[in-house]
Amino acid sequence: MTALALARADAPAAPASAQPQRVAGGLIDRTRPLAFTFDGRRYGGFHGDTLASALLANGVRLVGRSFKYHRPRGILSAGSEEPNALVELRGGARREPNTRATVAELYDGLEAASQNRWPSLALDALAVNGLVGPVLSAGFYYKTFMWPAGLWEKLYEPLIRRAAGLGRAAGQADPDCYDRTQAHCDVLVIGSGPAGLSAALAAGRAGARVLVVDEDVVPGGRLNGERREIAGRPAAEWLAATLAELRSLPEVRFLARTTLFGVYDHGAYGAVERVADHLAVPPPHAPRQRLWRITARRAVLAAGAIERPHVFPGNDRPGVMLAGAVRTYLNRYGVLPGRRIAILASGDDGWRTVADVLAAGGEVAAVIDTRPQAPEALRRRAEAAGARVILGGAVIGTRGRLGLAAIEVVDGRGVGATIACDGLAMANGWNPAIHLDSHLSRRPAWSEAIQAFVPSPAPGGMITAGAAAGRLTLAECLETGSAAGAAAATECGFAAESVPAPATDPESAAHTPVWRVAHPPGRRASGKAFVDFQNDVTANDVALAHREGFRAVELLKRYTTLGMATDQGKTANLAGLGLMAELTGQPIPAVGTTVCRPPFTPVAIGAFAGTHRGRAFRPTRCVASHAWAEEHGAVFVETGLWLRPAYYPRAGETDWLQTVIREVETVRARVGLCDVTTLGKIDIQGADALAFLERVCANSLAGLAVGRTAFAFMLREDGFLKDDCSIARMGERHFVMTASTAHAAKVMEHLEYGRQWLWPDLDVQLASVSEQWAQFALAGPRARDTLRAVVDDGFDLSNDAFPFLACGAVTVGGGLPARLFRLSFSGELAYEIAVPASYGDAAWRALMAAGEPFGIAPYGSEALGVMRIEKGYAAGPEIDGRTTARDLGLAGMVAGDKDFVGRRMTDRPGLTDPDRPALAGFRPVAVGERLRAGAHFLALGAAPSLGADEGVMTSVAYSPSLGHWIGLGLIRRGPERYGERVRAYDPVRGGDVVVEICAPTFIDPDGERHHG
Amino acid sequence: MAEAARALWQSRSPWVGLARPGRHGAATGAPGMHVALRDGLGLATIVAADGCEAVLADRLLAFGGLPEPGKARFTGERGLVWSAPGQWLAVAEEPGVLSGLAEELHGLAAVTEQSDSRAVLRLTGPRAGDALRKGVAVDLHPRAFGPGDAAVTVIAHVGAQLWQLDAAPTYDLAVPRSFAGSVWRWLDEAAAEFGYVVAVR
Repeated sequence: MTALALARADAPAAPASAQPQRVAGGLIDRTRPLAFTFDGRRYGGFHGDTLASALLANGVRLVGRSFKYHRPRGILSAGSEEPNALVELRGGARREPNTRATVAELYDGLEAASQNRWPSLALDALAVNGLVGPVLSAGFYYKTFMWPAGLWEKLYEPLIRRAAGLGRAAGQADPDCYDRTQAHCDVLVIGSGPAGLSAALAAGRAGARVLVVDEDVVPGGRLNGERREIAGRPAAEWLAATLAELRSLPEVRFLARTTLFGVYDHGAYGAVERVADHLAVPPPHAPRQRLWRITARRAVLAAGAIERPHVFPGNDRPGVMLAGAVRTYLNRYGVLPGRRIAILASGDDGWRTVADVLAAGGEVAAVIDTRPQAPEALRRRAEAAGARVILGGAVIGTRGRLGLAAIEVVDGRGVGATIACDGLAMANGWNPAIHLDSHLSRRPAWSEAIQAFVPSPAPGGMITAGAAAGRLTLAECLETGSAAGAAAATECGFAAESVPAPATDPESAAHTPVWRVAHPPGRRASGKAFVDFQNDVTANDVALAHREGFRAVELLKRYTTLGMATDQGKTANLAGLGLMAELTGQPIPAVGTTVCRPPFTPVAIGAFAGTHRGRAFRPTRCVASHAWAEEHGAVFVETGLWLRPAYYPRAGETDWLQTVIREVETVRARVGLCDVTTLGKIDIQGADALAFLERVCANSLAGLAVGRTAFAFMLREDGFLKDDCSIARMGERHFVMTASTAHAAKVMEHLEYGRQWLWPDLDVQLASVSEQWAQFALAGPRARDTLRAVVDDGFDLSNDAFPFLACGAVTVGGGLPARLFRLSFSGELAYEIAVPASYGDAAWRALMAAGEPFGIAPYGSEALGVMRIEKGYAAGPEIDGRTTARDLGLAGMVAGDKDFVGRRMTDRPGLTDPDRPALAGFRPVAVGERLRAGAHFLALGAAPSLGADEGVMTSVAYSPSLGHWIGLGLIRRGPERYGERVRAYDPVRGGDVVVEICAPTFIDPDGERHHG
Repeated sequence: MAEAARALWQSRSPWVGLARPGRHGAATGAPGMHVALRDGLGLATIVAADGCEAVLADRLLAFGGLPEPGKARFTGERGLVWSAPGQWLAVAEEPGVLSGLAEELHGLAAVTEQSDSRAVLRLTGPRAGDALRKGVAVDLHPRAFGPGDAAVTVIAHVGAQLWQLDAAPTYDLAVPRSFAGSVWRWLDEAAAEFGYVVAVR
C-alpha cells in the first residue's frame, strides 16, 4: 500500500467498465453508464459525473502538465476554480481547449485530451524545465532574453510560446450556433446553495420576480458535497422540499448550467448558459451556449466560497486536493479520490473529512493540524478511526513520481516522519466568492474573524448572503440567505418576510489559516511550494518579487503572473497576499487586493456574438432594385450598412473598369438607370418650414418656389461643411430634403437638434421618408423619352414645363403616386423619380423596359462616381469634415444677409486664409499615367517633406469621355493656379506623376446638357 | 407596349424571398410561434404641430384618440402607436383609409405617408415573447408590458417599433423595409428552437 500500489492505479490497463475508485452513494445515476476517452484510452463513468470525477473513479490522477515547468498535475478542486485539470474536449472543429475537467459534464462518447505535454502526459520531454527552475523564476523573460534584442521576436518568443502554454484552438470555423437573450427580474439570486435558495424562497413567497442562476447542473451548492442535517433530517430532504416550493411559485425561475460572469452598471448582469455543452452535438436548432443579458432591480450574491490550499513544498503533486473537493467526490460522485488519505487542516472544518472518508470505505492515514490545539472531540474521533493526529504540525514535502505516494511531516516539536498516503486533503479555510461584488470597483473589506476578504459593507452593491458574505456555517447560510432575499424583495416594493431558519447539525468554522506551512529550521526544503498552480508561481517567486521591489500588489501580479490566466487566481491570490504581508511585515489589508473584473470564468467569444457572425455581424440594408440586380449579376459594394450595386458586368467584360467605362458611355450617349434609394430623404412640413431651412442651410433659399428644387449645403456649428443636399419645395409648407447616403442619419439628427433644441418656437415637423420611397436616377440624352413611357399621360415633361431643377408629384403605372425631381449628378439630362418602396422593384423593371428601345443600361455606384468627378461635383471625399464652403468653391453661395448654423465661425482667420487648399481639377501631363487618390501635391523639384506639402488628391477616376485619368483635389490657392504643373506624390503605392492643375469641371462646363 | 408595361406594376412584399409559408425550425410538438406577414397595411406618421395635441386628440377619436407615451390604442385593425413625444404611427388595414388624413389634420399635424416604409410582422404564440427577447431589451413580462403597450426599441441592431395586441401574447413588429432581410434572418435563428409557422396574410 504505498508507491507501488499507486503506480498501478495510474498504469495503462484500466478496462472501460472497471472504476476501481468508485464507491457507493452519490448523486450519480448508476443505471446510465457512459463511455468516454481520455488521451485515446477508453474509460467508463455514470450520468451525473464530471470528467474529473469519472477520471478519479477510474484511478486516473495525472491529468495535465503545468504551464511553465511541465510538472505533473492532477485535480485540485471540484468546481469552477480549478487551476490544474485543464483539458481539451472534443475533436475537429469542436475542439475546445482549457476546459476545466471539474465542471465538464460527462456524456457518452466524450473525447478529452490532456494538454501542454509532449510526447505524452506520462513522459513529458519539457519537464526538464523543472530542473532549470531557477532560470525560469518570476520575471525570467525580462532578464534572460534581453540580448541580442533582435532575437526576441524571431527566436525567444516563439520558443517560449511553444514551451509554456495551454491548449490548442480548433483552428476551424465553429459548426455550432450561439444564442443571446435577455431576462428581467426583481431579484436576481446568484448561486443556489442553502443561502441562495433561502433568498429565493423569501423573495419568491412575497411575489417578486426571482431569477436564480447557478453554474452547476443541479441546485444545492455545498449541500450536494457534504453530509449535513437540516431540521434533524438529511439536508437533501430540505433541498427537495425547498425546490418543490420554488417550482410552485410562478414568478421564480431557475437557470442551471448558467454562470453569472459579469456585473455591469445600472443593474445589468451577464451570464452564459451552457445549453448543450453536456452533449456531444447540440440537438437540431438548439444553440451550444446562450448569453443572457439580465436586468435586475436587486441582486443577492450567494456564490459561496472557495477553499484555500496550503503552500508547502510539493503541494502540486497529483493526489493533493482541497478537503472540500475530497468530500464532494466522496459524497456527490461516489468516488474515493484515494484509498489512504491524509488531512492537512488549519481549522475544524477540515476534520469533517475524516468521517466522510471512513463512511466511503477509505482509510485516514493522518490528520495534521497546523494549530497547536484542536477540539478534543475531533481528535478523539480521528484517533478512533486509526488516524495519526499531529497538532501544531506541518507537511514539508511530498513523494511519488506522477502521483502522491507519501508525505513528509513534522510535529510541533520538529520531529519528522514519512506517512504513506495516496491522497492529501488541504483545509486552510475558505475565501468568500466576492468577485462579482467587486466588478464595479467596490473594494472588499478584510474580516479578521475568518481571515479573508468579504464584500464591502458600503451601500450600493449587491446584497450578499451565506458563505459569499463570510458567513460560512450552514446555519448562517440559511439565516442570512433568507434575510437577504427578504431585504431585496422589500426594496423592490414587496411585503417580504425572512423565513425562519431551520436548525442544523452543529458546526464550527474556527480556523487559523497559514499562508505558508512553517518549515522547521535546519531542514532543507525539498521542492517547489506553489502559490498559483496554473501559472507555476511559487512561494520563492513571491519572495523574489519582494526582494526586487515589486511589492505593491498590482506589481506583484504583473511581475510573477500570480492570479492571471484562465482561473484568475481563485485559489492563489490570497496566499500571494498573505506571503507578501509576511515579507513586508504588514497586515494583509494594508497589502491590498487586485481588482476583479469580468468575466468570472472564461466565456467563449461565440456566445457574445450570438447570431451576429459572418455577414450578419451587422445588419444589411438592401436597395429597392436588389432582386433585379442579383438576377443580373451585379457586383455589390458595402456603403455603410447598405449593399449597393457597384457595377453590372455583361458577358465578355473581363474587368470592372471595362464595365464602368461602358456604363458611363451609355449614360453620356443614351440613357442609364441608377438606384439612389440609399439617399437620405427627409420630409419637412409646417408653417415655419422655410424659416427653419434658412437657419439650417448656409445658402439662401429665398427664391425657392413651389415646384422647384435647390442645391443647398449645411455647416456644422464650427463653420466647416456638414453635408450638401437638395431641397425640393413640394408645397407651400412642404419640403423634401435629400441628403447624401453617408450623412443621412447625421443630417436627420442635426435637423432634430435644431427643431427640438435651438428653435423650439418654430412650427416645423420632420419625418424620415428614406424607407418610404425608392428612388432612381434616370440620366442621359434619352432620359426624357424613357420617362415618358413610364409616367402616366397628362403630365407634361417637356423642357419648358418641367425644366432643370423642377420637382413635382406625378403618377406612374396607372395612378401610383410618384415624385419627380429634375436633378443631375452626372451632368446629363437627368431625373430622379421616387415611387412607394413596395413598387420600387416594379418601377425599376418598368423603366428598364421603357428604356430598352433607347439602349438603356443600369449603372452602379462606380459609374456614378466617375461622372460626378467628370463634372467636378464635391462629394464624401471632399466633404470630409475638414473643408469649408470656400475650400470647395461655394463661397459665392454663402448667404450674407441671414443667420444660419455655423455662420459665426466661418469668419475665423484659419478658415478664411487664402492659402488654404481649395478645390481644383488635375490631369496627368503624360496622358497614359494613372492617378491615385491620397497622393500629396508638391512643387516640381521639391523634396518630399511635410513643409513642402501643398494639398491632397481626394478623388480620381478614369474618364471615358476624355480617355485619360482625371482627379479632384485640394491644393493651396488651387483656383488661381490653373495651368500650373505639380507633382502628385504617393510614396505608399509608388506613385509620382506630374499633373496639371485645371478647372474641376472636365465635361460640359456650361451645363448645356443637363439643361437640355 | 403600355399593357405589357402595366403588368409589370406589381407591389413587392419586403419578405419576398425570405419568408416561406409553413413550419420552420424545430419540427416536433406544437409550434412555439406563428408569424403573419402584415403586407399592405396603411401607415402614416403623425407629428403634432406645436400646442395642437388636445385638438388633435379630438380629431382622432375615430382611431380611439391619442395614446399616452409608451402606449398603442387600437379599434379593430385601426389604431395609433406612440412613437416619440408628439409623434404617432397611424395604422390601418389598408393605405386608402389614411389617404384623407393629411387634409383632415391640416394645420394640426404633419401627416406623412409611410405605408411602404416598414416591414411588419405579427408574432403570436406561447414562445413569441421568448423569441422576441432574443432581440429586444424591453421587459416583456405581463407585469411590465401587456396589451396596449408599445415600445420604440432596437431589435438585432435594427431600429424597431413593437406593440402588443393581446395577452396570447400577440405582437406587431415594424422594422425599416430595407432591413427586412437581416431581421428575418435573425427571427429565423431566434425562433428555430421553438419551431414556428409562417402564414401569409
